[in-house]
Amino acid sequence: MTAVLTFLFLFIQVSENIVVKDQWVRPGAKGMGTALYFTIENNGSEADTLYAVTSDISDKIMIHQTYSKGDMIGMKMVKEIVIEPGKAFKFEPGGYHVMVMKLKHDIKAGDETEFILHFKKAGEVSVTASVAKN
Amino acid sequence: MKSFLYSVLIISVLILFGCQSKFPLNKDLTKQSYKFFNQDSVEVTFPGFIKGKTAVMGFIYTNCPDICPMTTHNMIITDEKLTEEGINDVQFILLTFDPDRDTPSVLKKYAEVRGINFDNWTLLWGDKENTDKLLIRFDVMALPSDSSYSDDGELNYYMIHTDRISLIDKDGRLRKNYQGSKVNLDELLNDIKELGE
Ligand SMILES: [Cu+2]
Repeated sequence: MTAVLTFLFLFIQVSENIVVKDQWVRPGAKGMGTALYFTIENNGSEADTLYAVTSDISDKIMIHQTYSKGDMIGMKMVKEIVIEPGKAFKFEPGGYHVMVMKLKHDIKAGDETEFILHFKKAGEVSVTASVAKN
Repeated sequence: MKSFLYSVLIISVLILFGCQSKFPLNKDLTKQSYKFFNQDSVEVTFPGFIKGKTAVMGFIYTNCPDICPMTTHNMIITDEKLTEEGINDVQFILLTFDPDRDTPSVLKKYAEVRGINFDNWTLLWGDKENTDKLLIRFDVMALPSDSSYSDDGELNYYMIHTDRISLIDKDGRLRKNYQGSKVNLDELLNDIKELGE
């Protein structure tokens, strides 16, 4: 039975068109904000769109992009991210980040936090992000 | 005579640019004194409280999840590397340019969750007037952008700001600015050591 389940589990993992990897989140204190980063790979034959991220640790999560204007730097909301087939899309420091506001509790280096990424085609993809030192 | 003058000119230019590339600034910050509060809400006078110490100063707001943590982390790594080399007399400062939201207790939490050691770190909060005056001294700009009210009626805003770490020498002079989130750590470390000598 376990073997069958393991096989099914592996099968499901492998057959996914959307793969999320290298996910990590910065530390943050209760009531304050932090950022989540990851890479999305689209192994399917059609484009897919990330339109939301949710988690138990915050009711206020948005997709953001850091931008510069001269030597100043800011960030703005992005409605959705389209990942073309056969391509990867990176959320990384200084670029795109998932903005996690008003944390419900502290998260510190070494902790793990669950997030659900919502895609138009692939549906919900759960990830466990470890909390980095910075 | 002419060639002699040319030589003098060339040498002067070399000296001038040589010094400029290392420490391009020499701004005396001690001419004015500003009242600030640290992470424990204790009043501190800037730059008085860093007198006699080399100081590394970062400019942040805590609702900044991407760039400001990078700046903060660059300072933490710098502190760790200095400690490894037995250098413990450098003062690290984080100044908030969002005093409305970043009260001393918020700043303290921001630091604690990152394991910052308050022995040689100070987080500074000042009223709007003092904060603005100090930002102007450092040529740091910070403006609210993209504000919105959330469902609970709370005002949310992000800020567009200069990405900055500044290096201050033992005499309270601003000597060099760096891009906070992308600073070359070796350069900063070498500059700190050179100023400390
Ligand atoms: Cu953001």
